[in-house]
Amino acid sequence: MTRYAIVADLNRCVGCQTCTSACKHANATAPGIQWRKVLDFEVGEFPDVSRAFMPVGCMHCDEPPCMDVCPTTATGKRDDGIVTIDYDKCIGCAYCAVACPYQARYRVDKPAAAYAGKTMRHEAMLEDPGRIGVAQKCTLCIDRIDEGKAMGLVPGLDAAATPACVNSCISGALHMGDLDDPDSNVSKLLKENRHFRMHEDLGTGPGIVYLYDKDIGDHTATEPVPTTADAVGLAAVAPKLQTSWDWRAAANFVFGGAGTGLLAVTMVAGLFAGPPLWLAAFVALALVGVGLFCVWLEIGRPWRFLNVYLNPKTSWMSREAIAAGPLFGFGALFLIWPRLDIGLLAAVSGLFFVYCQGRILRAAKGIPAWRQPGIVALVMATGVTEGAGLFAALAVLVGYDDMVLRTIGLALMVLVGLRALLWQLYRGALGAKGAPTAALAVLDAGYVNLSVRTQAVVLGLVVIGLFSPAVLALAGLAALLSGWGFKYALITRAAFNQGFAINRVPARGAAKSGPGVKPGWATD
Amino acid sequence: MKKAETSLRNSVSSYCYQCVAGPDLLKVDVRDGVAFQVRPNSSAADVHPAGGKVCVKAFGLIQKTNNPNRIQTPMMRTNPRKGRDEDPGFEPVSWDKALTVICDRLEKARADGLNDESGFPRVAASFGGGGTSTQYMGTFPAFLSAWGSVDMSFGSGQGVKCYHSEHLYGELWHRAFTVSPDTPLAEFIISFGANVEASGGVCGVRRHADARDRGIKKVQVEPHLSVTGACSAEWVAIKPKTDPAFMFALIHVLLHEIPRERLDIPFLKRRTSSPYLIAPNGFYLRDPDTKKPLIWDLNTSRTVPFDTPDTDPALEGDLTVSGLEVGPDDVEWAHDGITCQPAFAHLVAHVKPYNPEWAADICDVAVDKIRGTAMQYIDHAHVGETINIDGRTMPFRPVAISLGKTVCNGWGGYECVWARTLMACLIGGLEVPGGTLGTTVRLNRPADNRWSSVVPGPDGFLNYPMNPTKKGEWNETSNSRHAHQMLIPLAANSSWSQALGPTHLAWMMQEKGLDHLPKPTPPDVWFVYRTNPVISFWDTGSVAEAVANFPFTVCFAYTDDETNHMADILLPECTDLEGLQLIRIGGSKYVEQFWEHQGFALRDPASAPMGEARDFTWIATELARRTGLLEKYNNAINRGAAGVRLFGENFDHSLDVEKTHSVEEIWDASCRAANAELTDGAENQGLDYFREHGFRTKPFPKEQWYLYPAMVEQDLRFEMPYQERLLRIGQELGERLHEKGITWWDRQLKEYEAMPHWQDLQGLWNDALEQAYDVKIDDYPFWLLTARSMQYSWGGNVGLQMIHEVADNIAGHGGVMMNPAAAKKLGLSEGDWVEVASPTGTTRGAVILRQGIRPDTLLMIGQFDHWKTPFAKDLKTPSMNALMPMMLELTDATGSGADLVRVKVSKAEAKT
Repeated sequence: MTRYAIVADLNRCVGCQTCTSACKHANATAPGIQWRKVLDFEVGEFPDVSRAFMPVGCMHCDEPPCMDVCPTTATGKRDDGIVTIDYDKCIGCAYCAVACPYQARYRVDKPAAAYAGKTMRHEAMLEDPGRIGVAQKCTLCIDRIDEGKAMGLVPGLDAAATPACVNSCISGALHMGDLDDPDSNVSKLLKENRHFRMHEDLGTGPGIVYLYDKDIGDHTATEPVPTTADAVGLAAVAPKLQTSWDWRAAANFVFGGAGTGLLAVTMVAGLFAGPPLWLAAFVALALVGVGLFCVWLEIGRPWRFLNVYLNPKTSWMSREAIAAGPLFGFGALFLIWPRLDIGLLAAVSGLFFVYCQGRILRAAKGIPAWRQPGIVALVMATGVTEGAGLFAALAVLVGYDDMVLRTIGLALMVLVGLRALLWQLYRGALGAKGAPTAALAVLDAGYVNLSVRTQAVVLGLVVIGLFSPAVLALAGLAALLSGWGFKYALITRAAFNQGFAINRVPARGAAKSGPGVKPGWATD
Repeated sequence: MKKAETSLRNSVSSYCYQCVAGPDLLKVDVRDGVAFQVRPNSSAADVHPAGGKVCVKAFGLIQKTNNPNRIQTPMMRTNPRKGRDEDPGFEPVSWDKALTVICDRLEKARADGLNDESGFPRVAASFGGGGTSTQYMGTFPAFLSAWGSVDMSFGSGQGVKCYHSEHLYGELWHRAFTVSPDTPLAEFIISFGANVEASGGVCGVRRHADARDRGIKKVQVEPHLSVTGACSAEWVAIKPKTDPAFMFALIHVLLHEIPRERLDIPFLKRRTSSPYLIAPNGFYLRDPDTKKPLIWDLNTSRTVPFDTPDTDPALEGDLTVSGLEVGPDDVEWAHDGITCQPAFAHLVAHVKPYNPEWAADICDVAVDKIRGTAMQYIDHAHVGETINIDGRTMPFRPVAISLGKTVCNGWGGYECVWARTLMACLIGGLEVPGGTLGTTVRLNRPADNRWSSVVPGPDGFLNYPMNPTKKGEWNETSNSRHAHQMLIPLAANSSWSQALGPTHLAWMMQEKGLDHLPKPTPPDVWFVYRTNPVISFWDTGSVAEAVANFPFTVCFAYTDDETNHMADILLPECTDLEGLQLIRIGGSKYVEQFWEHQGFALRDPASAPMGEARDFTWIATELARRTGLLEKYNNAINRGAAGVRLFGENFDHSLDVEKTHSVEEIWDASCRAANAELTDGAENQGLDYFREHGFRTKPFPKEQWYLYPAMVEQDLRFEMPYQERLLRIGQELGERLHEKGITWWDRQLKEYEAMPHWQDLQGLWNDALEQAYDVKIDDYPFWLLTARSMQYSWGGNVGLQMIHEVADNIAGHGGVMMNPAAAKKLGLSEGDWVEVASPTGTTRGAVILRQGIRPDTLLMIGQFDHWKTPFAKDLKTPSMNALMPMMLELTDATGSGADLVRVKVSKAEAKT
């Protein structure tokens, strides 16, 4: 087998950005888009400070999270380890961008010129409409590799078969070759140097290996990367708020969860309190529909949206889309022919839909606040709670009798409590494992989190609501809105990415290597 | 060459020489006449010291070529009023019209006499890029040569932004216009602010990366943690401008704290002036008959001339001797039976007070760090060892010291360069493998390689073309507006000398003349190419006012900029990838450029000119033709003014001097001459050869990287440690100036010491600012510095979006870097906008917090407060240039100043 990888010698790298520039040339990337770039790290406090430069880009992972999440199979992985993107399949959902822990993926929505409004000759000539509105990233100069190999050249050894960044590297820091060949240039380097890979703990098996010390005599087991909550001076490498998914994506989680929750509660209520409430079912489906419409607005290639069904094998986004089928099918049938069994089928589909939403977030490895396992139960719980809250309000509106309302109130109380419990579990696990400091700060803000303390207000309203339909309606809306607030913040404001980390500061010449840093991270 | 490479369509050979660390040999890929990609020329891998790699700046050339903001037609000013706030009203004109207007002015200037009533050339020219402009201006140097008297004293950064003291003293002491460690062999390098990983180009970066790979130890001594600091084994956060104290302490340790035999005593005795006896007035004790300096021969226990064979010179001891002492203006003192000491003994006494304990407080560096650094230096020096280079046995001394900008210009530069050179001499490490080397000569002649310039001078030292200071020989009026021949003996008088004079004096005197100098006048015609002094010099407001007063300015213009905003004519020339030129490559030059090959490289047009841009050679030829200088111009080309001498012993490709030659004819002849030169006349292929191959080289002997063999061959000595010659010319210069009534240069005269004493440089700056601006210096608590940027330095590329984009990945660009603790005291956070004020100006920028900077220091990388240059004017970045005063008090004896000023910081509104 062949496993192409990049090996970057941090002792040699000077941060000159020649590789960055060469990549921009070779791939004609738009202004601001850097498939390859070099980070500038600083470790320590004055006067005991080290500084190091770190080339990054697509890691061409062994287990690329971008590929698994891709709903269209546009992202693929070749036998030689290169992670590819089929621009013609990609719908530009940017799920891969939030799934990538290395900030390696970009989406450009319209042709961009370096000088606004004045397209240069070479820009016009090299413009690739196929790359507009879809995911893009380092290709490892795949065309050069393939053309070179076809001519009998060896990638990593022959310039014509080697990525532009490696060819351009003026310090000799960047190497490329086959890790599966024990005699290759890169395998030899790994034998002769101590090395690490970024964010190894995420299990992605990244394909950029960093050399940091020639002193391999005292090679120790992988040490945890020291974190620092304080990112002073390191803003460029600390976790940043993701910008791939905005309010439109959030709307899908906000309305989709509440809608499917409402549908489930409506049908459960139908089991015990007479015919299911048609109005509630209608509102539920409408909410889910609005959410999906919003997310459709967000994708870069909206008219290719049917490609979303192409990867049910691994992508929870495909599965969510598939779940939407029976959800809307049975749901519409129920609206026409309001039989409980049909409604229950729609509700089960809806629950699977919201489960998929939880799994979508869970699979987004690039966003620590999303990938926490507890997010799945929490997203489901808040969806159902929001649905119960909305159902309570609708029940009051249509004049359900007090006994039924009181039962709904009790159920709501349980759900709010359960949601708060799951929140505590989620937040506790997140804090214990560590997360971007800024993400934790957002989640801990009083109006966003779903802890017992903030949900006590909702619970209090529910208790009062047991005796007052109007207050019950208010309590229901409070349960709904607090869930919405949480999810909106989760998607748009707490979604700080993984950031970058340097496990070890390299030995510079005769000096010893030193501890690295993962800036902007904290544990509780 | 591999098949895949040749399969690329239209790959054109070119070079990048945008900065002094070039040239990089490159390939430009072209499709449909559009240059779209730059890449390394892999066929140069075997001859180029960095494997044919190409610097990041070169990748900006595609945008540079296709930049929509380019000036595309000749333009003529319609608004006679000039100034920042005046709209020049440029209107397109034909080339014929533009050249007619220019040539009318030139012809009038020539008719009025080449020099004006003050004796200054009527035509002036300013070029940027540290002298690299010549690699792009085709045959324009031949036009200037044909013209005759041209004033180049209006600086664009030289003197205030360069390594000035290194240039002048380096050439004096070891033919080292620029100095470099012998990095491939060095084991230990102390760098005082040298930022080679940012300014050394691909060769510097590659050589140092290789050195790190094999375990070199580099100690970086500087107030902030630069890119080079990042790449070093240690960072020593020294207080700004206290480097001489650190270096004097290193010398102290070597002379007072370790056994003498650990030094290279044979080198000191044979290759330096250490044994020369010093007479009571501070000059050498000389043999009355031959006037040669005397040494004390331990074999015979008597004085003998320094060049007497088979002697064992004494380095120390109180010696009773007789002889002649010759002072300034040949005044003589006869001495009989006096007690003298050799220069080395004087040195030992001189540095006795400068121990590490003394330096620690001044530098704010721990005593152990200073002493430890000195001990590592000697431990790695390998004194006594030799190495074989190309069959020649030479000393092997793998330790070196590098000096950066601000350290080796302005006050303190002399001390640092002297100390660095002396440190090398003490262990025999000057100009030997592993040690401290020069790279190129610019003031001495011939300049084809450093060995050629090793010419015997007085007293067993290298010759040096000092501007004369003796009565009757001194140039009383100078012939440049900054009086370099008058004030700066070390500036010499080569074609580079004007650029190495006190260039800020030229600007200062446009505002107010100096007593007893000719009345300052603006040039009748000022040519400007690849420079923007209104942004890049100091006190930019004053420079702008001076430029606005120039009556006729011609700018070879790329885009609008702040200097050509005041121009009368803008001429769009073919840029880097559009013009045709052949240049010399290889040998040793500038920054870490040590080749094992030498030859020529072609800049072949990769793109059709944008708009009506014209090749610089065409422009130069037209100027020569229209001003009636064609014959002189062609003669100058034939003599090699455009880079290649067109005739030699066994070839002659000279141009017909009476004809007007096309651009291609001129460079075809150059290519033929180049091929003939490289093959001793055996081959004479023309332009087509270089178009096909891009470059051609022949071997350059590696032993010529080192001056030592040439010095040994002629039995010459490095003029270290004692500066008798400087002492003499300093006193003579003082006499001359005082005879003329000039006292405003007295402070500078104090620099002419035989051995430099410590002076409180921070205090010097503080006092000068307090007195000039009536301020309390404590109100300005920070020292403001700058640092080179790999992406920008010398490149003139601030208007390129791609360069800005990638430079932003490196911390410090575009803002005011400060220490977080210092920021906290002022209530400042990352990204806050601040106003930085010196006593003379203000600038604004966003705070960038970094731990790698002293709390008393601020840093601004790049000085980009442009207000006219497209793209750059929207960057909203600060610049220290507006904060830098041009003051005589802060001008050293070589005529340079340092990028250093006291400032205060306060919160401010963002730039709009």
